[in-house]
Amino acid sequence: MTALLDASGVSVAFSGILALDDVSVSVQAGERVGLIGPNGAGKTTLFNCLLGILRPDSGRVTLNGVDVGGWPVHRRARAGMGRTFQRVELFSDTTVREHLLIAERVRNGTGAFWKDLVGLGRPRPEEVAASEEVLELLGIAELAAKPVESLSLGQSRLVEVGRALMTGPQILLLDEPSSGLDRDETQALAATLRAVQDSKGYAVLLVEHDVSLVADFTERAYVLDSGALIAGGATGDVLADPAVRRAYLGSFEVS
Amino acid sequence: MSGAAGFFEDLFRGLLQGTPPGAVYALIALGFVLTYKTSGVFNLAFGAQAYISAAMYFKTHTLWGWPKWAALVVSAFVLAPLIGLVLERLIFRHLRTASAVSKLVVAIGLSVALPELFNQAARFTAVAGRQISGIMPDGAGVFYDPFGVYRFNRDELAMMAVALIATLLLAALFRFTMIGLAMRAVVESPRMTGLSGINADRVSAVAWALSSTFAGLAGVLIAPRFNSLISTEFFMLVVIAVAAAAVGKLVSLPRALLGGLGLGWFIAVFNTFLPRWSGDHTWLRPFQENLTPSLPFVVLFAVLVLWRAIGREREASDPLSGVDPPPPALAALERHPKLTLFTRLFGVGFIAVVGSVVWFRAGVLWMHLVTTAVIMSVIYLSVTVITGMAGQISLCQGTFAAIGGFTIFQMADRFNLSVLAAALLGAGVAAAVGAVLSLPVLRLGGVWLAIATLAFAFFFDAVMVKFSWVGGGTTALLTGTRVPRPLVGPVDFASDRAFLVLAVVVLVIVSIVVIQLREGTVGRTLTALRGSEVAAASIGISAARARIVAFAMSAAIAGLGGALLSMHQQNVNYSTNFGPVNALFWLVIVVALGARTVEGAIQAGAAFALFEPLILKGDLLAWILRGEDHLPGLFPMSGSWRLVLFGLMAIQFARHPEGLVEHGKRRASARINQWLEAER
Ligand SMILES: Nc1ncnc2c1ncn2[C@@H]1O[C@H](COP(=O)(O)OP(=O)(O)O)[C@@H](O)[C@H]1O
Ligand SMILES: [Mg+2]
Repeated sequence: MTALLDASGVSVAFSGILALDDVSVSVQAGERVGLIGPNGAGKTTLFNCLLGILRPDSGRVTLNGVDVGGWPVHRRARAGMGRTFQRVELFSDTTVREHLLIAERVRNGTGAFWKDLVGLGRPRPEEVAASEEVLELLGIAELAAKPVESLSLGQSRLVEVGRALMTGPQILLLDEPSSGLDRDETQALAATLRAVQDSKGYAVLLVEHDVSLVADFTERAYVLDSGALIAGGATGDVLADPAVRRAYLGSFEVS
Repeated sequence: MSGAAGFFEDLFRGLLQGTPPGAVYALIALGFVLTYKTSGVFNLAFGAQAYISAAMYFKTHTLWGWPKWAALVVSAFVLAPLIGLVLERLIFRHLRTASAVSKLVVAIGLSVALPELFNQAARFTAVAGRQISGIMPDGAGVFYDPFGVYRFNRDELAMMAVALIATLLLAALFRFTMIGLAMRAVVESPRMTGLSGINADRVSAVAWALSSTFAGLAGVLIAPRFNSLISTEFFMLVVIAVAAAAVGKLVSLPRALLGGLGLGWFIAVFNTFLPRWSGDHTWLRPFQENLTPSLPFVVLFAVLVLWRAIGREREASDPLSGVDPPPPALAALERHPKLTLFTRLFGVGFIAVVGSVVWFRAGVLWMHLVTTAVIMSVIYLSVTVITGMAGQISLCQGTFAAIGGFTIFQMADRFNLSVLAAALLGAGVAAAVGAVLSLPVLRLGGVWLAIATLAFAFFFDAVMVKFSWVGGGTTALLTGTRVPRPLVGPVDFASDRAFLVLAVVVLVIVSIVVIQLREGTVGRTLTALRGSEVAAASIGISAARARIVAFAMSAAIAGLGGALLSMHQQNVNYSTNFGPVNALFWLVIVVALGARTVEGAIQAGAAFALFEPLILKGDLLAWILRGEDHLPGLFPMSGSWRLVLFGLMAIQFARHPEGLVEHGKRRASARINQWLEAER
C-alpha cells in the first residue's frame, strides 16, 4: 500500500551546513504521526520541504504515490495538504466565519472572475452551513462573527485548524501547535484535535518539541536530532529509547 | 576613423564625463541605503529633500546674493539635516513597527507634499530655462583637462571632490566614533542591535540627519545640470539612487557607491556610442533619441526583474523595532441595519440634490468640474482595486490611463473607429499591458513592486510616448492629440450635459463591477493574500493568478477612465493628465481618503476636482459668508495646498490603511451603533 505522504532521502544544506541529512518519513492515510526533536533539529526545515516552501537539495516527496517535488505550495494544498502555523497566520480584517468561507471557496472557485461579475461570487447558503458545521466541531461557533484580531492565541490556533479543514485535507500538518500555550490550553487543544480527527479521519503529522502532546496524541513518532533521523516507530517505544532521551538530555519525563 | 585607438579614447572620455554625475548619484545612493538600513524606510521623498536644498541654495545665493559658502552651509548643512531630523522625530520614529509598504506610502505622500510646502513657505516658484549656478566661483566657465580627452569644469571637479570627502567622512565616522559603530552594527547586522543595548532613537536620528545631508548636497551639486529648478526633475534623482542602491541589493554601502558611479559611467558611455551605432543601424534611431533620458529607469527595471535574488530578499522591516508589529486596528463593527438604511438614504438624497443643482443650475465651468470629478472617480477605482483590495502599491496607474487615452486617439485618428468602441479597446489594451507587466514584477511584491511600476511609468514617459504609434509623434506636436466626443446613434455626446450623463453611467457600472468583485471570490481571495500570503498559499490560493487578475482589472479600469478623461477634454493632454508624477498624487489622495471602498474613490475624485475651486479659491466660504467681500485675506489660496494637504494626510496611511475619512466613518458608525443598541 502506498503511503499517503512519503518523503525519502531528503537532504537540505544551508550554506554548506546540513540541516537535514538523508531523512525519510512516511504517513499512512488516517494515521497520527509525531515528529519531535530538540530546537534546531531540522523539524521546520523538513516541514517546509513536505509543503513545498523549500525545495530539498536531494530526495523525493510523494503524495498518494505522485511525485510532488516540483509543485508549488498552493498546488500541494489543493491536493490535500492542510497546515497550521507556529506563529499564527490569520487574514487580518476578516471575521472567523469569513476565514472559513474563503478556504471553502478556493476548492470550487473556477471561473471566479465572471461569476463574481454576475453576482454569483457571494457566500452560498451551503457554504455557510459547511463553515458552521466545522465551527461547531471545533467548539468555537460563538466566535463566528468576531474579527480575528480579537481572538486569544488558543482560539486563533483553532481558527487555523478550521480554515485548513474547510479545504478537505487528507493530511493536516501541525507546526508546534502548543507553542505559546500553557499546559491547560495545550490539553484543551489536544482534546479538540483528537475529537475532530476521530470524526473526520484525516491523517495528522504533528511537529512538536513538547513531548507530552506527542505522547498523548500520536500513534507513531519520528525523532530528529541535528538533521538526522535517530529513531522512528510506535510513539511509546520511541520515547523510551535511550538515544532519544540522550538527545533531549533528560529534559522530559514520560509518565 | 582610427579604429581601436579612437574607440578607447572615446570610452575613456565617456568614463571621465560620467564620473561627476556618477559621484553625485553615489552620494544620494549612500544616503538612501543608510536610511533604508537603519529605519526600514524606502525614502522616495529623498528627491524632494534634494530639491528643497537646491531651491534654498538658488534662493539665498542667486536671488538674495549671499556668498556661495553661506548659501551652501544654510541649504545643505543646516536645512537638509534639519528636515531629516524633523521627519524622523515627527513621523518615522512612530512608524517603527509599520510594514515596509506603509512606510513607502508615507514617503510618497511626503514626496508630493514637501516641495510644495517649501515653495509656499519660502515663496519660491519653479525656475526654468535658466543656468543654475553651482558651488564654485565661475564654476561652469573654467576648465581643466588633465588627460587631454575631456575638459572638466570647476563645478564638476567640485562634485567629485565633495562626494569623495563626504564618503571618506562617512567611513571615518563608522570607524572611529561610538555612534558610527552603532550605526554600522545596525546596517551590517540588524539582528544584533536588539541584544547589544544600542540606543535606537539616537541611531535613527543621526542616520536621518546624515542621509538627508547627503540628499541636500546631491541636490545642490546636481542642480546646474538641469537648467531648471522643478521638483519633478529631482524626483528622477531618487529613481537613480534606487537603481544604484538596487545594484547592491540595498544592503551594502560600498556597492551602492559603486552602483552610483557605475550608473554615471554607463549613461555617459552609452551616450557616446549610441549615436554612432544608430548612424549604421537606422532602426536604433528612435531609441537613440528616447532611450538616453530614461536609461536609469531601464537599468532599474532590468535590475529588479533580472536579479533573481532581490525578490527573495526579505523586506527590511525596521531593524531597530525589535518586536513584532502590533495587531492591526479592529475591523469595523457590524453596522446596525437602521444606520445602514439611514446612510443609504442620505447618500441617495445627497446625490439627488447635487445632481439636480448641477443639472439645472450649473454653468459651463461647474459642469466641467463635476464631470472631471466623476471621471477621476472612475480612475481612482483602479487604485481601489490594486491597492485597497490587492494591497499592492502600483505607481503606473497614470500610464494605464494614458494607454486608454492614446488608444482612442490613435483609433479615431487613423481608423475612424467609433469612440466608445475605441474606449473599450483602450481598456482592453491597458488590461493586456497590465497583465504582461505583472508577470515579471509579480515575484517582487511589496516595496519592490512599487518601484518596478514606477520605473515602468518613467520608461513609458521617456520612450514609449515619443513613438508616433503611441503619442502621435510630430503631427501631435502640431495639432495635439485630439480626441472626439462619442456619437452613438442619435445621441451626440458632444454636449457637456450628455457627456456628464455618460460619465456617470460609466462610473455606476464600474462601481458595481468593483463591488461585485470585492464581495465575490476575487475580492475575498485578495483579502486573504493581503492578510497573509503564506496562509493563503496553504489553503490553495495561487498568489500569482490572483494578482494578475487584480493588475489587469485595475489597468482596465484606469484605461477606461483615461479614455473618458481624454474624450472629456477632447485631447489626451498626456503630460498634464497622466505623467508619472501624477500617478503618485493619485495614490496619495486615494489612500488618504479611503482606498478600501468605492465611496473612498468617489470622495477622492470629488476632492481632486473640487477641492481647489471650492475650498482654496474660497467659493464655499464666500457662499457661506454671503459674498466675496467678507473673505479673509488668505483667499484665494494657491492650488498647491491641495498637494500639501493630501500628501500630509497620506502619512496617516500607516496607522489607518483604510483611509482617514473611512476611519472617521467607522468610528462614528461604531458610536451610533452603541447608541442605537442602548436605545433598545
Ligand atoms: N533559512 C535558513 N538559513 C540558514 N540556516 C537555516 C535556515 N533555516 C534553518 N536553518 C538552520 O537549520 C537548522 C534546523 O533548523 P529548523 O529546521 O528551524 O529547526 P527546528 O524547527 O527543529 O527548531 C538550524 O541549525 C538552523 O539554524
Ligand atoms: Mg521550528
